[in-house]
Amino acid sequence: MDDDMIFDPSLKKKKKKKTGFDLEAALAGEQGESTSMETPADTGDVDAPEDDNLDLDNFGKKKKKKKKTFFNLGELENALPETPPTEEPEAQEDEVMDDLDLDIDFTKTKKKKRKKDKNVDELVTEEDVRGEDQENVEDEHGEWVGSDHDYSYDELLERVFDIMREKNPSMVSGKKQKFIMRPPQVVRIGTKKTSFANFTEICKTLHRQAKHLLDFLLAELGTSGSVDGNSQLIIKGRFQQKQIENVLRRYIKEYVTCHTCRSPDTILQKDTRLFFLQCETCGSRCSVASIKSGFQAVTGKRAAIRAKTA
Amino acid sequence: MSIQNLNTFDPFADAIKSSEDDVQDGLVHVRIQQRNGRKTLTTVQGLSSEYDLKKIVRACKKEFACNGTVVEHPEYGEVLQLQGDQRENICQWLTKSGLVKPEQLKVHGF
Ligand SMILES: [Zn+2]
Repeated sequence: MDDDMIFDPSLKKKKKKKTGFDLEAALAGEQGESTSMETPADTGDVDAPEDDNLDLDNFGKKKKKKKKTFFNLGELENALPETPPTEEPEAQEDEVMDDLDLDIDFTKTKKKKRKKDKNVDELVTEEDVRGEDQENVEDEHGEWVGSDHDYSYDELLERVFDIMREKNPSMVSGKKQKFIMRPPQVVRIGTKKTSFANFTEICKTLHRQAKHLLDFLLAELGTSGSVDGNSQLIIKGRFQQKQIENVLRRYIKEYVTCHTCRSPDTILQKDTRLFFLQCETCGSRCSVASIKSGFQAVTGKRAAIRAKTA
Repeated sequence: MSIQNLNTFDPFADAIKSSEDDVQDGLVHVRIQQRNGRKTLTTVQGLSSEYDLKKIVRACKKEFACNGTVVEHPEYGEVLQLQGDQRENICQWLTKSGLVKPEQLKVHGF
């Protein structure tokens, strides 16, 4: 479970081909376009050409869209930075919002098909397929020797990642895990309340305490609410599924997926007064923002409040 | 693999700072709150006290064609309140006027 390397030199290619949300491509973009240079390995002739992988990938996606019950958290996350605060037409929701790709897979069925997709190890597998011939690799690295050419940051970066992959085959050979999460079930209750029916289930899926997610949701939505006897969350105010999903995405990005490798296999620990996100995959540990609701404006009936306090 | 050594971020910086002043985390929090029915309210917390918030609210009211006010809060200082979902407007306005850097803005809500 180590596969989620952020710097994948082969990413750019995919980015071009894919129109949908690709978290990895986006992240790679964020972390420096520099990483997106094409590697020599990409151009080599291989038994399993990349297009095949992409097809599989796309195929998998389509299948998923049809199912529609699951969403893909990674994709969602990727959509995050550009989430407009305004509501979008429902039509779009169908297209993208239904799959949240968390890069982890609980449904083990599709794993085989998707094994190769958008993975760091694509490169490496290709190298493997080529028949372990070290010549190529050596050539690649050999060209550095005895040349007085000034290497660009891109080239150096690529080189270091090539070497890393070479030295740690286990790091890249791990299969891609997909983590499928159900979308929040959000229903209006009357005119003033909203029910988040599978709130507890989602907490379990994310391995987070209900209270923590609850605090976050309520702070972000600027409202109040509580979990009722049927383990559903009742929130004051009217909220749509999409809005709750937006907040969930932000939660996952901040408190569930590792900030270094984006693995969702993490533990949230409280240490003194800060929360730390400890990654089980890469071992990184970083502090996360504390949840504060901040200033709350008075929105109720002032007369009623005055009567209460008086 | 963790490349934590490359991480210059100090996780305790926050704690040290927050012991000094809990409120001013250097961020300007833009939040939305629901009121009755479809009505909403936008609050802006964390603007530097060196700015004249009354002047800001006056300009914003005109610019966004909405009502607004400045609320004094014992803990959070002066807070700007604007009617409706003005999150996008206020963020743009604050950055455009140079009062707040884009990275200082933290937008909450759905
Ligand atoms: Zn990690």
